[in-house]
Amino acid sequence: MRFFSLFIILCCGFSALAQTPLPKDSLNPVDMDEVVVTATRSERLLGNTAVPVTLIRQQMIRQSGSLRLNDILGEQTGLFITQGFGRGVQMQGLSPDYTLILLDGEPLIGRMGGVLDLTRLTVGNIRKIEIVKGPSSSLYGSEALAGVINIITDGSGQRKLTADARYGRFNSTDLSVDGATRLGRVRLTGFVNYNSTQGYSLLPNSIQKTVEPYWRLTGQQSIAYDISDRTHFKASFRQHHEDIVNSIVVQNLGSQLLSKGKELNNDYNITPSLSHRFSDRIKTTLRGYGSEFSSRQLLDVAGAANSYNDRFRQRFIRIEDQTDINLGEAFSLNIGGGHILETVRSNRYDSLETERRNTIDYAFLQQEWRATDRFIITGGVRYDRNATYASVWSPKLAVQFRPKSNLRLNASVGRGFKAPDFRQLYLNFTNIAAGSYSVFGSLVAGEEIRRLQADGQIDQVLPAFGLLQDLKPETSTGLNVGLQYDLKPGWQAKLNIFRNDIENLILTDIIAYKKNGGQIFSYLNVAEAFTQGVEVEMTAKSFKKLDVSGGYQFLITADKSVLEEIRGGRVFKRDVSTGISSQLDRSAYAGLPGRSKHMANLKVFYGSESDRWTANLRVIWRSRWGTSDLDGNGLINRDDEFARGYLQVNLAGGFRVNRMLHLMAGIDNLFNYSDPYNLPGQPGINPFLRLSLKNPGKKDNQLSIK
Amino acid sequence: MKINIIRILSFSVLLSVLASCEKNDNGGGNLVVTTQTVRDLPGDTILGINTATGQPYGAGKYTFYSLENNKVVSSADSATAKWDIGFRGTTIITNSGNSGPGQGGGFVFTGLFDDLKTIPADSTFRTDNAPTSYAITSGSNRGWYVYNAPVNLVTAIPGRVLVIRTGSGKFAKVEILNYYKGGVTPATTDSDDIKLRRQRFFTFRFTYQPNGTKSF
Repeated sequence: MRFFSLFIILCCGFSALAQTPLPKDSLNPVDMDEVVVTATRSERLLGNTAVPVTLIRQQMIRQSGSLRLNDILGEQTGLFITQGFGRGVQMQGLSPDYTLILLDGEPLIGRMGGVLDLTRLTVGNIRKIEIVKGPSSSLYGSEALAGVINIITDGSGQRKLTADARYGRFNSTDLSVDGATRLGRVRLTGFVNYNSTQGYSLLPNSIQKTVEPYWRLTGQQSIAYDISDRTHFKASFRQHHEDIVNSIVVQNLGSQLLSKGKELNNDYNITPSLSHRFSDRIKTTLRGYGSEFSSRQLLDVAGAANSYNDRFRQRFIRIEDQTDINLGEAFSLNIGGGHILETVRSNRYDSLETERRNTIDYAFLQQEWRATDRFIITGGVRYDRNATYASVWSPKLAVQFRPKSNLRLNASVGRGFKAPDFRQLYLNFTNIAAGSYSVFGSLVAGEEIRRLQADGQIDQVLPAFGLLQDLKPETSTGLNVGLQYDLKPGWQAKLNIFRNDIENLILTDIIAYKKNGGQIFSYLNVAEAFTQGVEVEMTAKSFKKLDVSGGYQFLITADKSVLEEIRGGRVFKRDVSTGISSQLDRSAYAGLPGRSKHMANLKVFYGSESDRWTANLRVIWRSRWGTSDLDGNGLINRDDEFARGYLQVNLAGGFRVNRMLHLMAGIDNLFNYSDPYNLPGQPGINPFLRLSLKNPGKKDNQLSIK
Repeated sequence: MKINIIRILSFSVLLSVLASCEKNDNGGGNLVVTTQTVRDLPGDTILGINTATGQPYGAGKYTFYSLENNKVVSSADSATAKWDIGFRGTTIITNSGNSGPGQGGGFVFTGLFDDLKTIPADSTFRTDNAPTSYAITSGSNRGWYVYNAPVNLVTAIPGRVLVIRTGSGKFAKVEILNYYKGGVTPATTDSDDIKLRRQRFFTFRFTYQPNGTKSF
């Protein structure tokens, strides 16, 4: 109720200001004249990129009632939201570790278990999201192996003031205020978001909640100053804080032990940049970027004298320059380079006093040749020289051919990589409770094993220990071949066939056994895997105000060494009822866990003639996916080793009361689907209400691309 | 202390002549080796959880078994060659080394039970050196089982055969079929309580070759 009074105040403030309605816009960017920046690190028309690019616009995000980044990404073709270490995104069948998440072009840090938790990101101030599929390490370096998601916030500086409040089930509250103004040559933006929930339990009679209460606060500000027509300065700042209740219940033959605690995460980003256009042909941009992520977990363990206190702090500092050169009509060139310093302190690695660091120097080059109006070739290469692990080259080549004005054929091949993270290099963790196992990072494992050997604690050192060496980055070669066909204005079909071959996959492997039976794990470049599939998307504006779109992805994945073992007849399965073992056929191997073979979505958006009413229906379906091996062969092959596939239907509708006030209501997960074990983040049916106030300013309220 | 009355084992010659009973004529004799299945053999079932370590515990006693006679051997006879294998949780011992005075030994063979018709000549039989090493290697994913921590279940690895040299120096092959009561692994969603109470009940099948050869 206190939020309601806030709105009354805001209403009064807003009503004094003049209003002009926003222009009508298409939800689905079938318009190939839209400008995108992520595919080539420079402004390109969507239709002129030879790599698969998906664009999600603000209007769709708002009409869908999305709050966090995972909400909107989960409704896109081929993207699978994973659960575990928060919400991650699986792209082209590759784990969340392998998709680079950029905020206004700068990489976000603070991955836990390889996952950058997407719930840390509000969508309240996002102007658009660009998704590039396929390796893009030739431009972005590490993590851009499956693809890149670039969240572009609204920094255009068009005067506006908006406020939003959404309230839903479980006291889930989301409040945002977003503003922008212009003072002469200075453009300012400011945004603040508060998000909280009381959490929920999907299992009855459980002390521990499925999702515990949390609250989050995000602030983002930017200042842009046009020093001259040719020289521009911009800086943006972001702060995020989250406070999550943490409780763990241990069962002990009927009695329950409850440990309570908290998880506190903070991140900060600062992004200053200076760009200068020397002439029509040459422009250079110097960008600095500093980011810090810190996490603290406190747990008062039941029955234990000392509370558990886990601390982690990561810093990322980068300076980079990119120069864009136009060599006549047909050629353009992007040259860049930079330096990165990354540091981590954590009591998981050593002590808080020890700072682990890595530096990277890199350079990249991209060249585009527009041979004719119908033929574009883009080639690029990047070199990353790393201080603590092997260096890496990332090349890429993309070709677009337009045999007809409404048909585009695209093909691209590239290499992507993911650098070993600090956990894989330096982790020093021993779990005394659960079987006394230890995990050592590859750079500290040798020393730790020798120390334990000297103490007489080692039973056996395995051959894998001898394989320990400087970790190589995980690399992938990705191939994307596709076409886009424009049937008529507003009607489009897209097809993309992809294959990713991943090498040097870093997995944990047992390197030694302790005399007490405990296992010692470390990280090794041992595995090879592939993912391949087909993605189809269709968009149609069937009536004047009806946008219909649908997408489907078919996906096959496998661990290559498992395939070899199966071919060699060394992989077995066990019948549930008889317990008898038999050989596993290739057809029974379901590939990498956590992947759905089929995923599809259908979206229908309606807007009335006056644009006063809007309504939409979004349907998301995914087939079963492997969760856990139960017959002891370490693979997903039996029906009970899958999570059930499901269909989710989301509905939302909006009504513009007047120029200032907009109301929205929606129901996420209309059919109340839930799966407490495999989808803990899916709370079941979730109705919500949203109230928005806006004043788009007196003039220039039309969104334009800067 | 609660002493579990060891259940009378229902052993069945379940494999019919046609289906799966291996009938071999070895070395000119007319001995027929049969495959027997033992169900729900308790191997130190859980009494509780140690609150300090969080680890479950039982009475700490092995259940000794004679493959030759297809029956449980009293623990009073643990220091004799009368038993062939012993079960205590996931640890399986042979009547060898420091586990017993017999001529036992063993190793874990990778392959199918039915495909193991003759123990390869170059096989090395290991002996027990408890508690650091066992003929039947202990530890998750190291010998005959895998422990899946997230779902808290122990599963016998398919395609693993325990090749056993018995207390009296004869040969047998054993396949562990299940670690839980009734030969049914609890569902992943069952409570930890159920998972604890039902575990350490072995269901296994074995073939014992009484003529001393390594063929089955």
